[in-house]
Formats: sequence, structure tokens, C-alpha cells
Amino acid sequence: MFPGNQGDQERRLDNLFGAYRDACVAPEASVNFMPILWQRIESRQKFSFSFRRMARGVVTAAIALTLAMTLYLAAPRSAVLSGFGTYVDVLAASHNSENSDLYETVRYDLGSSPDEL
Amino acid sequence: MLVEFDVIKRAQSGDGAAFNEVVLAYRKRILGTIARLIARPEDVEDVAQEVFLRLYFSLDQLRTAEVFEPWLYRLTVNASYDYLRKQRRRMESRMSDLSEQQVVMADAAAGGKVDQERQEQKRIRETVDALLGAVSEDDRILLTLKEVEGLSLKELEKIYRVNENALKVRLFRARQRVLKAFGATARQTEGKGSVKTG
Repeated sequence: MFPGNQGDQERRLDNLFGAYRDACVAPEASVNFMPILWQRIESRQKFSFSFRRMARGVVTAAIALTLAMTLYLAAPRSAVLSGFGTYVDVLAASHNSENSDLYETVRYDLGSSPDEL
Repeated sequence: MLVEFDVIKRAQSGDGAAFNEVVLAYRKRILGTIARLIARPEDVEDVAQEVFLRLYFSLDQLRTAEVFEPWLYRLTVNASYDYLRKQRRRMESRMSDLSEQQVVMADAAAGGKVDQERQEQKRIRETVDALLGAVSEDDRILLTLKEVEGLSLKELEKIYRVNENALKVRLFRARQRVLKAFGATARQTEGKGSVKTG
């Protein structure tokens, strides 16, 4: 850089940018500019429409699947509960039926003397 | 504004004729800006169509008339950035090539076989493109918008959505880099001239 004439350089650069502006003539649009633009708009619209429709289908399918899974998981569990009761009940029932001879009730006759027993 | 806000409002509500009117009003300006930003004439129209395509699909977000032009510029700058990113194209001209090109152009002009004015314009375009190649792509676009398109700092503020001071700093640094490259070119040209004449 030439420190002494920086102002001069700045001015020359500004002039060069000005000349560049004039030298860059804006290109003329072709006759197909508008038809192609509308084609692109329509194809983008079609794409976004079909994408939206697909997305809506996926969401609906997901909701349906969720509901089906919920029903599937809920139904067997309720059957178990209504048929057999709680885990403790089931355990007690099976215990009673299998070992009833071991746990037979001891009867005490409170009227008799201890010697009779 | 090159069109009434009423026309834009009609375009917003889906009136195709109104949208056509907006495109026709701004088309030339947008083509010119893109031509300067991407420096590749064969792709200018394609990028311009992308700008208007984006405009069409985002027009419903526009609320006030004042922001329309900066907004359209923003779409233009973004579409140009996207194009440049896709192409991964850097300015091919380097400072070392510049003098060579100038010599070739000078020889052609001296031959008197080509239109001098057109050659001069081409030389200027190549010189500035090469100078702007000395800065980053971001700074090149910013400098082009400021120095060539003649946008004010206020307009740039709206386009870039950054404060004026940050823009001033960026512009100053970019301009300094271009000035440095400009000085080097001038020295090189003078050097060649002195060798030739001496």
C-alpha cells in the first residue's frame, strides 16, 4: 500500500466500483422466465401438497397404532384381574386347596376337662 | 417501492396476476444484483427464479410495506449464497492472473479488431471481480451490496439483521483488504509498464 496516497487510492477504488456498476448491465430475462417460474411454483406446490398428505397419513396411522397397542395391552391385563383377583388372592386360593389337610382346624371343646382331651 | 403495497397484498391473498406484476417490477433489478453477486451469467436467471419462488411461498409472512424491499434483497442474497455454496465456486481469477489478462485485453484493443468500449467494460468487470476475490465470499457480497448496489447502512442492517456498528467494522475491514489488493495490482501494473517502456 502507498501510505502517502491512501486517499487517492480510496477515490480510485470508488471510481472503479462506479465503473463496475455501469459495466455490469443487468441481463435481460428470457421469454420463458415467467412460464418456467410458474412451473416451478406449481411443482413445489404439488410436492408440498403430497408431502403434507403423506405426513397426515403417517400421523393418522401412528395414532391408530397407538390406540390399538393400548387396547391390546389393556385388555389381557383386565381379564387376569377380573378372573383371578389379586396376586395374594390367587396365592391364598392355591395354598388352601393344596394343603387343606395340613392346616385343618383344631377343634377345642371348652366344656370338657383337660383330662378328657 | 416499484409496486403499490396493494398489489403485494393481492399477491399475498393468492392473486396470480398481482404476483406477476410484482415479479415484472423487480425482475430486472434482481437479475442485475444476482449477476453481480454470483458473477456467472448463465445461472443468473435460474437463481432469480429461485428468489421469486421463495418470495411466492413466504409472501404471507410479510406484514408491512417498508420491509418488502430489504426482505426481497435478503431472499436474493440468501439464494445467491446457496448457489455459491452449491457450486463451491471461488473466484478463479487471482491477482497474479490479472495482469496477464490485462495484457491480453490491451493487445486485443490495440489490434483494433474488437469493440473498445465493450472490452473496457469487460476489463473493469474482470478487475473488480479479481479484487473482490481477495476477500471472503461473505465480505464480497456485503461489499457488492454496499459499494456497487449502493445500499445504505440502514438497508444493510435490515437485510443482515445486525447492528450498524458491526456492519461498519465488517465493511471497513473488507474494504481495507480490497484496497490492499488494489494497491498491489496498481504496483504490479506500474512495474510491468516501467519494464516495457524502460
